[in-house]
Amino acid sequence: MTDLALLHAEEQAPLEGVIKGEVLRMYQEVAEHPEGEFHFYHGRQAAEMFGYEREWLDRAPPGAVASFAGVGNPHLRSRLQAGEVVLDLGSGAGLDSIIAGWQVGPTGRVIGVDLNPTMCRKAEAHAAASGVRMACHEGRMEDLPLPDSSVDVVISNGVINLSFRKRTVIGELFRVLRPGGRLSITDIVSAKQLSQSIVNDPKLWAS
Amino acid sequence: MFGLLEGEGFTRVRSTVVPGFAFPKESTRDAAEAYGVKAVLFTAQRPAT
Repeated sequence: MTDLALLHAEEQAPLEGVIKGEVLRMYQEVAEHPEGEFHFYHGRQAAEMFGYEREWLDRAPPGAVASFAGVGNPHLRSRLQAGEVVLDLGSGAGLDSIIAGWQVGPTGRVIGVDLNPTMCRKAEAHAAASGVRMACHEGRMEDLPLPDSSVDVVISNGVINLSFRKRTVIGELFRVLRPGGRLSITDIVSAKQLSQSIVNDPKLWAS
Repeated sequence: MFGLLEGEGFTRVRSTVVPGFAFPKESTRDAAEAYGVKAVLFTAQRPAT
């Protein structure tokens, strides 16, 4: 990291902490009060909008479906095979982990990573109720609590945009994937540089 | 994101805009449109060697 980049990162550190708190608060709110109104579509309505199979949504625990807060459908291109190890980055209430778990079957497994330990426990409970082997680790996407080359596939849904350090996150995904491993992630991108007032607004980061 | 994936060393990087992605509130939708905000599905592979 250059001196200038280091200085910039240090200046951003307090804001990063505020935004992390706001992101945690927002997704906790979706999990606990999915009937609420948010800046993004969520729950079954969103999942159907993105082409999730109705059979998946009927079969998954209602709590996992209601708290879904993704921005697309990473399963469309994940090509999961029986026996594979999948990392669900930002696993939330666990819907994507459950769908991945059904595809990799009993010889495969799903590892969730989420900033929020309460969500991790909720995702594990939803996965267990769905017959899926899932272990969720509390952790930051910039510093994944996983060994090198330990997963076959990474899926993620609307999570990486929440990080200040996207390059670091991508580096972490490269590190934990085994050689030949692949990723299928959906996320939000913008064609234009966001204004400083938007960048500095924690509520907009969380929405 | 595409550039970050390629820059890290991922190969076979592909991206597809997610059809149907939108924000429910009109004010958010307008701001998102002004900044060209989209949802995108990315796929990529870590080289085998």
